[in-house]
Amino acid sequence: MDSSYLAQPPPGMGKTRRLASTVQWLLSAALLLYPMNEVNGQKKGTPRDLKCMTSNLQVWDCSWKAPATGQGMSYEVCIDRRSHSCYKSERTSIKIQSLSPGDHEMTIRPLRGSSNSTSKFILSERNVSLIPFTPEISNLSADFATSTLHIQWNDRGSAFLYQAEVIWEIKVLRKESMEVVKLTTYNSSLSGKDVDHHWGWTSDMPLECAVHYVAIRCFIDDPRFSGRKAWSDWSRLKSVSWSPDSPNKVFPQDKVVLVGTDITFCCVTQVKILTAQIGQTSYPLIPLDGRNVAIKIHSISASANSGTNVVFSTYDNIFGTVIFAGYPPDSPQDLLCETYDLKEIICTWSPGRPTALVGPRSTTYTLFESFSGRHVRVKRGDVSSNESYQLFFQMLPNQETYNFTLNAHNPLGRSESAVLVNVTEKVHPHTPASVKVKDINSTAVLLSWHLPGNFAKIKLICQTEIKHNSEQELRNLTVKGVENSNYLMIVNKLNPYTAYTLRVRCSAQTFWKWSAWSSEKRHVTIEAVPSKGPDTWREWSSDGKKIIVYWKPLSVSDANGAILAYDVSYSSEEETRTLPEIPPPQHRAEIWPSHKDCVIDVAARNSAGSSPPSRIAGMQIPNDDLKIEQTVGGGNGILLTWNHDPNMTCDYVVKWCNSTRPEPCLMDWRKVPSNSTETVIRSDQFRPGVRYNFFLYGCKSQGYQLLRSIVGYIEELAPNVAPNFTVEDTSADSILVRWEDIPVEELRGFLKGYLFYFEKGERDTSKMRGLEPGRSDVKIKNITDVSQKTLRIADLQGKTSYHLVLRAYTGGGMGPEKSMFVVTKENSVGLIIAILIPVAVAVIVGVVTSILCYRKREWIKETFYPDIPNPENCKALQFQKSACEGSSALKTLEMNPCTPNTVEVLEAGPTVPKTEDTELASPVAERPESGPGDGDADKQVPVSYCPPLVEEAGPAGQVVYMDVQSGYQPQARPDGGQDGGQDGGPARCTGYKPQLQLPGSRGGAGGYRPQADAGTWTPLAPLAPLAPLSPDSSSDVGSFGSPCSVDSRQFLIPPRNEESPKWSGGGWSFSNFFQNKPND
Amino acid sequence: MLTCLCAVLWHLPAVPALNRTGDLGPGPSIQKTYDLTRYLEHQLRSLAGTYLNYLGPPFNEPDFNPPRLGAETLPRATVDLDVWRSLDDRLRLAQNYEAYSHLLCYVRGLDRQAATAELRRGLGHFCTSLQGLLGSIAGVMAALGYPLPQPLPGTEPTWAPGPAHSDFLQKMDDFWLLKELQTWLWRSAKDFNRLKKKMQPSAAAITLRLKAPGF
Repeated sequence: MDSSYLAQPPPGMGKTRRLASTVQWLLSAALLLYPMNEVNGQKKGTPRDLKCMTSNLQVWDCSWKAPATGQGMSYEVCIDRRSHSCYKSERTSIKIQSLSPGDHEMTIRPLRGSSNSTSKFILSERNVSLIPFTPEISNLSADFATSTLHIQWNDRGSAFLYQAEVIWEIKVLRKESMEVVKLTTYNSSLSGKDVDHHWGWTSDMPLECAVHYVAIRCFIDDPRFSGRKAWSDWSRLKSVSWSPDSPNKVFPQDKVVLVGTDITFCCVTQVKILTAQIGQTSYPLIPLDGRNVAIKIHSISASANSGTNVVFSTYDNIFGTVIFAGYPPDSPQDLLCETYDLKEIICTWSPGRPTALVGPRSTTYTLFESFSGRHVRVKRGDVSSNESYQLFFQMLPNQETYNFTLNAHNPLGRSESAVLVNVTEKVHPHTPASVKVKDINSTAVLLSWHLPGNFAKIKLICQTEIKHNSEQELRNLTVKGVENSNYLMIVNKLNPYTAYTLRVRCSAQTFWKWSAWSSEKRHVTIEAVPSKGPDTWREWSSDGKKIIVYWKPLSVSDANGAILAYDVSYSSEEETRTLPEIPPPQHRAEIWPSHKDCVIDVAARNSAGSSPPSRIAGMQIPNDDLKIEQTVGGGNGILLTWNHDPNMTCDYVVKWCNSTRPEPCLMDWRKVPSNSTETVIRSDQFRPGVRYNFFLYGCKSQGYQLLRSIVGYIEELAPNVAPNFTVEDTSADSILVRWEDIPVEELRGFLKGYLFYFEKGERDTSKMRGLEPGRSDVKIKNITDVSQKTLRIADLQGKTSYHLVLRAYTGGGMGPEKSMFVVTKENSVGLIIAILIPVAVAVIVGVVTSILCYRKREWIKETFYPDIPNPENCKALQFQKSACEGSSALKTLEMNPCTPNTVEVLEAGPTVPKTEDTELASPVAERPESGPGDGDADKQVPVSYCPPLVEEAGPAGQVVYMDVQSGYQPQARPDGGQDGGQDGGPARCTGYKPQLQLPGSRGGAGGYRPQADAGTWTPLAPLAPLAPLSPDSSSDVGSFGSPCSVDSRQFLIPPRNEESPKWSGGGWSFSNFFQNKPND
Repeated sequence: MLTCLCAVLWHLPAVPALNRTGDLGPGPSIQKTYDLTRYLEHQLRSLAGTYLNYLGPPFNEPDFNPPRLGAETLPRATVDLDVWRSLDDRLRLAQNYEAYSHLLCYVRGLDRQAATAELRRGLGHFCTSLQGLLGSIAGVMAALGYPLPQPLPGTEPTWAPGPAHSDFLQKMDDFWLLKELQTWLWRSAKDFNRLKKKMQPSAAAITLRLKAPGF
């Protein structure tokens, strides 16, 4: 038996099965039940390919293939083991009741054929296929707002008698091209009844965008059935589409989505969409059916307040929609429920993360109370969602505990928070109002305030803040609560006549929160009698007839009110007198007592009464053993000490005043208890550098006695001025200086001494700038005797300027300096001695010389003035004489050669030779730049010539000498070589170069030279000698000294004898001579 | 330009036609209405910027010019020039009055849906000013003896966010409302300026020409 069933995957195997399901469906439709076993061999023309299937397990539908034997063929089908087991069928199929388990032989015999055409099959349940009925979708609806498809179908369970699991496979196809967008299964059970089933599906694309088709099939999974189970056929497709008549073209419309969602928008239109943009971003178009297009956004971001605009643009129109991307509401944060007045509960919370949804899409909060079942709701469409929300809930009369649940919901979701509160423990009273203060007495007031609320069931703690200046005090009061009433509190232990600022706040006794402070109320307590009399002192006038009574104003704490007047009275043993009342600004009074031992009383009075009087004895007990002491304070006060005196029965009084003030002076006083032996006097009036007098009085029964008188500074300063000093006397070696005292006001401390500097120095010199004591040339004298007022400075130099400086110093430092310049007088004795000693020495030398000369006069005469011999006795002259007379061979002296001292200058042109007088022209004056072309006849320099050997040329023969460096150019060097390069002269001789070539000159080297070729010549120093020591140049030197034309530079008179060393040497020396002394 | 303008302003008090103190007639109220129109123009410029930014792109883009889809019920300010010239003063004032009556209702609708408090304050302020302008126009009409136009029954505009009206179409309507408001304020300024000159013939004779190259 051949059983080649297609392996059917069990339902629920997952995606693989789903993918192959379509193919399976096609194959299973093609495969039929094969004949199980042919007992006899099949012949051609007999029924074959028996296939059986069932849809409800009760009836098997078997079919076979029959040979094409024409119309009217009928078959007899027999099944063994069954009574009435043969059936007759007109067709090639037959429906039979399901067979019992096990194999059954089925015989199919064509009734009009031969018996050989009978076919036998072994049939069992295993070979039967269970293929359910094809389901039908009874209803397909679309919720376009939510893009949801709703499918309804009936399972036809009544046709299936058994309980069985059914798997429904649903597929959703989109667009006209039927793209499968969803394929899913739905499980249910067959219960023997017809049951409708529903399935919904939300599309990722709005349903309006394209047509959607839905089909369904099923699979019955009955474990009792052992045959092949197969899917039913797909139901007929049902479709849903959008009516294009809607004014809206873009979908989804006004949708609220979660931030981060992928969302598809489409535009349903008949015109071509050109662009699509969201916000300012363009998106690619996804084509749909027709001209419909879509865009897809991945992970949309939160929208602005008015939503995110999605716009599709055509050529001349735009379509759009608004999408609202936000978040579901966060759990309400910090939910707090309390009551202000036990009438109403206020719950506050903060919304947490913003939802980005506002207006009608904002979060709605519902406060639900579970015990009472009541709720209140709030919705705030404002953007400022960070602010806290609040809801009021009216309290119920007999309910103290409330279980609140706060629900928050918006289109994207909901959340909640809960709180259980006992309101009597969450009382946060309102701010107390109408605060009033009423006086009870000078130290107590009655404070009242109003507190709205129904606090009758609880106790309140109210706190009062009492402020006075910078002092602050808190007082608590526990009161029984009342309903909407005023509360009272007595505030006592206050000071009379004192301004207080009062405010109050309250809380429940079961503390939760204080209320806010009430407004402040300022109140001044009423006055009381001054607590004590004023601090009093008295001073006797200098004439001893009058007492001036001083008293200090009472402190605020002692005055207890505004002092209206002071009452002063004095009494002696005989009488008591009272002065008229003295109004407050005045704090002194004068009395003329008849007795020294009077007693003075001073009392202060305010509206509440008079203070106890202050009493002071007027008697002044003399003290002969009194000396003035000095003291310096510590900067902020002065310490006074004294020995304990048992006689002082009452107190000590320290009085002080500025020492520069006239008597009687009184700045202040201080009373010290009688058992004290020291006190530190401090006062804001003390100033550094000011001298004060302090007087310590002891109080005895009959009066006060001055015990000590002290002069002191609170702090010493350096003197303010320098002492004035003058020079009283000046001698040649000493100066007497005198200075004056510095006034006490300027001294600013106790004078410790003076410092006197002096040094040599004059005004306006550098030394004057300062006299530092460290300098070695500055002499210092420290005068510690402050009574000394003069100083003599000795051992000075006469007629010398001295710089004197004087400065005073105190304990506070050095004062400024005062300086003076003094010149000591001249020392006349020394001058006289200085003159007389040289005169005396000269006289003595003269006398000694005279004596010596006189005594040696013979020797001197022999040495310096010998006798002059007589010429007539000269033998030499005698010989000459004879010679002249006797020898004719002797010739007279020939003056040869003789050269005239005037030279006639011959010019190389037709110019008439002329004779010029000598005129001295400095060679320096000749301009070197005058070239040959400049050879103007008018500018020719007359040259005179002086013979070298004629020394008698005399002043008449002025010689114009041409500087060898500038004018002379040796033209005729016998060797003819290297003239220019060696001489250096041409470097400055820019005139015409002579072209005369002297005999013996070699080649043309000594001839014409380019005059501008100065670079080939090495210029020498202007005053360097012209190679005088060179043997090669000796011939040139031979012409030296010869005059030459300014233009041609040719020697006008050549050397007479070039070989003459004498001439040559004379020329050289001559030139040198003229070089050095041109004027000569 | 500025100097010239200052000089003109300096000499304005010297123009006798502007300093008439006798029987004032409807002139001052026309002037005040004109001034109020200009003030509303200024106010709208600021408000529209804020509101269009609130609507978001592309509504706040400078070249955005959508078709007038659902805003057909808004009174149109644009009118053919010849038609405008053919109108008499009464008709002009009546059209202004009717237009602002309608526009005011729509602006109140804007106020209701604006999400931010600041925007709501600005719209509320603008509504008050628009109400004032409506009163001023009514005052001018009364001074000139013209009756106020009676609204036809059933045509009273109401702002109702109906379900068929999507948010996007509502935004388009808001955009057009602001645009029409602006155009109406321009037209009104022109209308009142013309009326002002007509009521002050002597002043109308004075022509102040400001030469401003580039303008």
